[in-house]
Amino acid sequence: MDLKTLTELRAPSGNEQPLRRALLAEIKAMGLEPKLDRLGNVVVVKPGTQGAGAKRVMLSAHMDEVGLIVANVTEEGFLRPLPIGGVDPRVIISKRVLCGDEAVPGVIGAMAIHLQTPEDRKRVLGYDDIYVDIGAKDKAEAQAQCPMGTYITFDTAYVEFGDGFVSAKALDDRVGCYTLLRVLEGTYPCDVVAVFSSQEEVGCRGAKGAGFAQEPDVALVLEGTTCNDLGKVPQPEQVCAAGAGVAVSFMDRSSIGNKRLFAQALELAQAQAIPFQVKGSVSGGNDAGVIQLARGGVPTLVLSVPCRSIHSPSSVCKLSDVEAQLALTQALLRAM
Amino acid sequence: MDVQKILTEASAKVGPSGQEMEVAEYFAGQFRPFVDEVTVDAMFNVIAHKKGTGPRVALFAHMDEIGLMVIAIEEDGSLRLGNVGGVDPRILPASRVWVHGKERLFGTIGAMPPHLMKPEDRKKNYERKDLYVDVGLPVEKVRELVRVGDIVTFNVPATPLLNGQFAAKTMDDRACVAMLVETAERLRKLQCDADVYFVGSTQEEVGSRGAETAAFAIAPDLAIAIDVDHATIPGSRPNTTVELDSLCASIGPFLQPKLLKRLMDCAAAHHVKLQTTVAERNTYTDGDEVSLARDGIPMVLLSLPLKYMHTTVETLDIQALQEGSRLLSHFLSELDAGWEDDLWI
Repeated sequence: MDLKTLTELRAPSGNEQPLRRALLAEIKAMGLEPKLDRLGNVVVVKPGTQGAGAKRVMLSAHMDEVGLIVANVTEEGFLRPLPIGGVDPRVIISKRVLCGDEAVPGVIGAMAIHLQTPEDRKRVLGYDDIYVDIGAKDKAEAQAQCPMGTYITFDTAYVEFGDGFVSAKALDDRVGCYTLLRVLEGTYPCDVVAVFSSQEEVGCRGAKGAGFAQEPDVALVLEGTTCNDLGKVPQPEQVCAAGAGVAVSFMDRSSIGNKRLFAQALELAQAQAIPFQVKGSVSGGNDAGVIQLARGGVPTLVLSVPCRSIHSPSSVCKLSDVEAQLALTQALLRAM
Repeated sequence: MDVQKILTEASAKVGPSGQEMEVAEYFAGQFRPFVDEVTVDAMFNVIAHKKGTGPRVALFAHMDEIGLMVIAIEEDGSLRLGNVGGVDPRILPASRVWVHGKERLFGTIGAMPPHLMKPEDRKKNYERKDLYVDVGLPVEKVRELVRVGDIVTFNVPATPLLNGQFAAKTMDDRACVAMLVETAERLRKLQCDADVYFVGSTQEEVGSRGAETAAFAIAPDLAIAIDVDHATIPGSRPNTTVELDSLCASIGPFLQPKLLKRLMDCAAAHHVKLQTTVAERNTYTDGDEVSLARDGIPMVLLSLPLKYMHTTVETLDIQALQEGSRLLSHFLSELDAGWEDDLWI
């Protein structure tokens, strides 16, 4: 499945069904046997060539994306949303969305600049102010189309642009899903336990269960991570750079990369000329935070694709960084 | 005429103020089947002429869109933005754009991520100076293709909503140009003596400069400006907006009272729902310039309500647009030689 298909599927946390169905079909078509666990994770075990005694390596990439959910409907027929995951309300003004399984189109408008007072211009519109307009004529019609609990996603087409860049919604973490599917095409000495996890954006809930259930010896987390390299930003605030290779985390806010794994990853990348960078900031958190603490503890490392404007309707990454994420993941698997 | 199709196509045309060539060519093609002559003048105004022996009337709706321009190229290849017309900076983060350099480049507007900001900065709106355009190219390539002063326009598909509502960029005021195209089409089936000029005007967003010269050139006996007005949305302050579902006529010193009465009577006779609003002085439309062209031109203003004006999701009611073309076609058809009698008495 290509990255375009993956990013355009609509799967906010808690409503990952469309992506889950697509992954199940894709993995079956590869001749593998995907399973669904009790938290909605898609799990595939691919035995290694070492047979008995092979290391059990869990690879995790999360299926879900940030989005919105209808909390209620106004008398005039507008939808009042709350965020699913971390969505800065400042980046969704004047954007297009799709609501619910029927993909009802909607827009997020705001008061015209002509009518704003100087105070209005300064004020940040929050979730108390923001609403989605689907063109409903009244509350009854809006409720019939998009009742409370309707999941909303950004409506953003996948576009390749510039020098090998991609603009899309949900690059966090469809890049990881894409890499994980590609990993499954290969065979490795170790056992590979591929987990397409659910509900990362609302607290890494899927990976928590999977980390326990799969009892891995080692875990690699394939992510998309914050990248702030444009706009004349001083180096310390850039976190990582798009196009500079896979970002290896020594530490983020939810886990510390296992020192041996970290060193091994850097050695392999250098030896095999895989473009890499060390993520230059202790920020963000991900599935590694829960997997490392599963049962008696799991050595864990996070390998990320830098994503500009992450969690926005139009995030950006460079395809060569996705290839580097795949290359380093495979290099590590071959060395286990 | 398929209104949704023309709105979708028109919305995608490039045409910030002063650079309306592409959208002008599009609308010239749309008018052509329904009129005797179409020209594009020195200001890129589209002037579609339906010849007649009666009063000379000109209708104005503007084609130009708000946009942005490149004001600097950073060392990392990102572009800084300036305004062309009144762009609300709140709509910019994560918006997609076209950068019109030597080639048309896809770009997306980025900003510092919130979790890297100081808590107090997260409580502030992004300003234009905080934002940049990412065109995904190394700086050397950017410098080769992009110059300071190149224009930047929004790149957003149109979104049909429920109940004939329709959201897209540039509906201010291309929806009203589409209304004029449909008026021209309807007029073919009606008796009409008037000498009618439909004008897709330019540079409205920077001061109605296109309408000013077009009004001089056409020298009409009377004029109708057609523009958008703010429709009610949640949080609208009282008395600042009109309802989305029907047209609106303005009352005030800039609007010729007898012509206005004629328009309102025409609406009543043909059962076109017409709201009214007060413009206590300027209308901030082409009408202001047109009414003072040459020795003065009696003018009225018809408005199409629009939600979220000057965003990329300007939302209108297609039925209201179609009622507008129905009203205008009857108004033109019924315009007789006696229209000027007792104009100011």
